[in-house]
Amino acid sequence: MLKVENLSVRVQGRDILKGVSLKIGKGEVHVLLGPNASGKSTFAYTLMGFPEYKVTQGKILFEGKEITHMPIEERAKLGIALAFQHPVAVKGVTLSRLLKRISKQPLDLNGFPLDKSLLDREINVGFSGGERKLSEILQIISLNPVFVILDEFDAGLDIVNLEKLTLIIQDKLLRNGVSLLLITHRGNILQFLEPDVAHVMLGGEMVCSSRNWRKTWRTILRYGYERCRECKERGLLSD
Amino acid sequence: MKDVGNVKSADYFQINHEIRRMLAEKGVILLPSPEAYEKMEWTREHFGQKPVEGYFIWVKKQVSYPISTCIAISSPEVYQKPRNLVIVEKGVKAEVYSICNAVKPNLSGKHVGYSKIILRENSTLKIRHFHKWGRTDEVSSVLDFLLEKGATAFSFYKSLAPPEKLTVENRTVLDAYSSANFETSVLAKNGEVKLYDSIFLNGEKSSGIVKLRMVSGENSKILSHSKIVAEKAGRGHVDCMGLLLSENSSIDSIPELLNSNKNAVLTHEASIGKVSEEELNYLRSRGLTEDEAINLIVTGFLGEALTYREYPIPAESHM
Repeated sequence: MLKVENLSVRVQGRDILKGVSLKIGKGEVHVLLGPNASGKSTFAYTLMGFPEYKVTQGKILFEGKEITHMPIEERAKLGIALAFQHPVAVKGVTLSRLLKRISKQPLDLNGFPLDKSLLDREINVGFSGGERKLSEILQIISLNPVFVILDEFDAGLDIVNLEKLTLIIQDKLLRNGVSLLLITHRGNILQFLEPDVAHVMLGGEMVCSSRNWRKTWRTILRYGYERCRECKERGLLSD
Repeated sequence: MKDVGNVKSADYFQINHEIRRMLAEKGVILLPSPEAYEKMEWTREHFGQKPVEGYFIWVKKQVSYPISTCIAISSPEVYQKPRNLVIVEKGVKAEVYSICNAVKPNLSGKHVGYSKIILRENSTLKIRHFHKWGRTDEVSSVLDFLLEKGATAFSFYKSLAPPEKLTVENRTVLDAYSSANFETSVLAKNGEVKLYDSIFLNGEKSSGIVKLRMVSGENSKILSHSKIVAEKAGRGHVDCMGLLLSENSSIDSIPELLNSNKNAVLTHEASIGKVSEEELNYLRSRGLTEDEAINLIVTGFLGEALTYREYPIPAESHM
């Protein structure tokens, strides 16, 4: 589905990602762990194609096609979708109007912890943390994607709503064979969603990729992210 | 007010200089302005000069449906000079849908409109005014509002297809406890738009709001001058927001607050800028092209409430 090879990215003159590689198969759930400012969001924006994230080396392949320099909207049309950590406010455009404009499938709102008045509000204008996440997930589902990146989806959500939204993600996305990349530094979402593979990013480098995600996460919880760097040197967390 | 559909309490439809339809239900007097000027001497002071065309609408009693007016140009080089007079009697609530347009894009018409709107004590008028012109037309429109004690006016003006030169002026005088709320949305493209608003708070506890939403597209210029004058202890607010869509577009927004009463409060806020990259990228990540994203933002910015097609106007005057 997604193959990233030796990707280096520069943002505003600074090298952020350094030779990152990753492979996600159809229907797989991967989690990308890492402390703040380790390059996780840069990786997400680069996959989505944001122009200020300049690829200086390597390539991105999606379903066998190279998309490294493809414009954002064309990637979206291929089925790549990103739920933003800090989605921008779009004044004057209501959420319902955007959903109507972008929807590729009728949206069944059953099961959404949704106050319907949210749909009539301007996108992300005065939304609470939880409302933002809900708005993001509504948009993502309506796009009927094949690969979804959830950037710090568990930040700003209380545990009850996180569980509710995770159930929706399982029901509306994973059950339809959608591949998922979860980006998180606190790992709260792992209580409700079990990944197939865990990756750890430190200082713009992918220092670990392991199918034994529980071991990876336990190590991080016990010793902190820095241990992963040492671990890379020792090869403790490799498959 | 009920759904406007085809049901109207009064309907005035003029093409070029000819009145095509003029209907009114009981409680509304509807006449061509020249006739009203001749027959009702008291209207003369309001018309100022003798009108050659236009409508006189006198809402004497409460009506169930909106009033609809349309003045269209359908032939080349027509010069319209409508002078309109609208009076809403004491305590009556009325709604007017008003459109002025050119039927084709290159008629080189001229439309110089003047309307005086008088709201008697405790009456309410909601007026939605829509312009749609061709590139080569020249248009200026002046609306004088006179609000008596306790009257309320809501005026929505929208122009999404302005001519090369468009001037719109609202002048409003408010008596005690009256309030005026003006919303203007303009999209300029390859031309010049001038918007003038002046509100005079002449009565205690009167209030006036001017809300401007301006989008300056390619090769266009918008000037807005919004003035609120407080002589009595009222409240006034000017809210101007502008979007520039192109390198060769500009918006010049001048708010002016003149307060001569220490108990009056006048405020203004203004911002002019471009559509942010962040907003564009966000919408592009939802599969919209840059142009589609700009279009969505611009139409949202100018107000989603009503579009041209939703106006209860005669089908034959659509472009």
